[in-house]
Amino acid sequence: KPIKITLRPFKLCDVDDFMGWAGDNLVTQYCRWDTYTSRDDALDFLNQVIGSHPWYRAICVSDRPIGSIYVMPGIGKDQRRGEIGYAISAKYWGRGISTEAVKMATSCVFKELKCLERVEGLVFAENEASQRVLEKAGFLREGLLRKYFFVKGMSRDIVVYSM
Amino acid sequence: MEIALRPYQVSDVEDFMEWCDDEVVRLSRLRHFTSREDAVSYLKETVIPHPWYRAICLDNRPIGFISITPGSGDERCRGRITYALGSKYWGQGITTVAVKKVISTVFEEFPSMQRLETIVDVDNKRSQRVLEKSGFLKEGVLRKYVIFKGNIYDVIMYSLLSTLT
Repeated sequence: KPIKITLRPFKLCDVDDFMGWAGDNLVTQYCRWDTYTSRDDALDFLNQVIGSHPWYRAICVSDRPIGSIYVMPGIGKDQRRGEIGYAISAKYWGRGISTEAVKMATSCVFKELKCLERVEGLVFAENEASQRVLEKAGFLREGLLRKYFFVKGMSRDIVVYSM
Repeated sequence: MEIALRPYQVSDVEDFMEWCDDEVVRLSRLRHFTSREDAVSYLKETVIPHPWYRAICLDNRPIGFISITPGSGDERCRGRITYALGSKYWGQGITTVAVKKVISTVFEEFPSMQRLETIVDVDNKRSQRVLEKSGFLKEGVLRKYVIFKGNIYDVIMYSLLSTLT
């Protein structure tokens, strides 16, 4: 049975819900950012996002955040290219939520960020679940970029997808 | 035919303006230099301060350039290679010689670099051949990846991995 999700901007009072996925090593293992270990760091981050991120949304079930999704355009001549990222609380995995959120985000973001021509996802090669999310959401797999990022002490192979 | 790589100097300005012809400008991110002063500024502000930028020299005269731009932060394991050669020298294998010279030492010069990459317009077959002959692997086509002189282009991503552990 599909769960109904909504996307909305974050509020500072979402910080404890935010820690529910951003503070979980299981969720962040394939993210390029580090697990949040302090509520203060999470508050600083949400403050920054609320103030200045071009497109960052909470993925909500019954209006409570259970994950996040963003599209980050590049700078200068790369602003036509946006990178999509998403994370949801482990207890909501396996229910098509990320796929639904990605579909909603991509349909919104091309209208809201007028410059955007390309949305890409850069997924760790080991993260098959996330690759399936993008495939189900209609992204095209373009290739494997070897040793593309250096994250958490190691170089990482990345699969690149685009819409 | 003696091909050598060396840093640029301001005194190379005339040779620089000469090889940077219409064909090169059409395909690369270089632009036409409207005057000697314009080209001197470019050498002083962009070329000379660059982390690694070399003249491709034929019999000691610059006829092109090749550069390596190392990444930083979570991109520190990679570097980007770019190059251009005066069009009257195309088709003789010169760029391939220059690329092979660079890749023979780049991973020692940049120890944290594990990946050397570049993107090439899907229609630029010459440049694709240079990379393939130099041992780069074609990883995929990235659609609508770059904007260049007002148009959006698909590009091919190529990479070469360091064999140093």
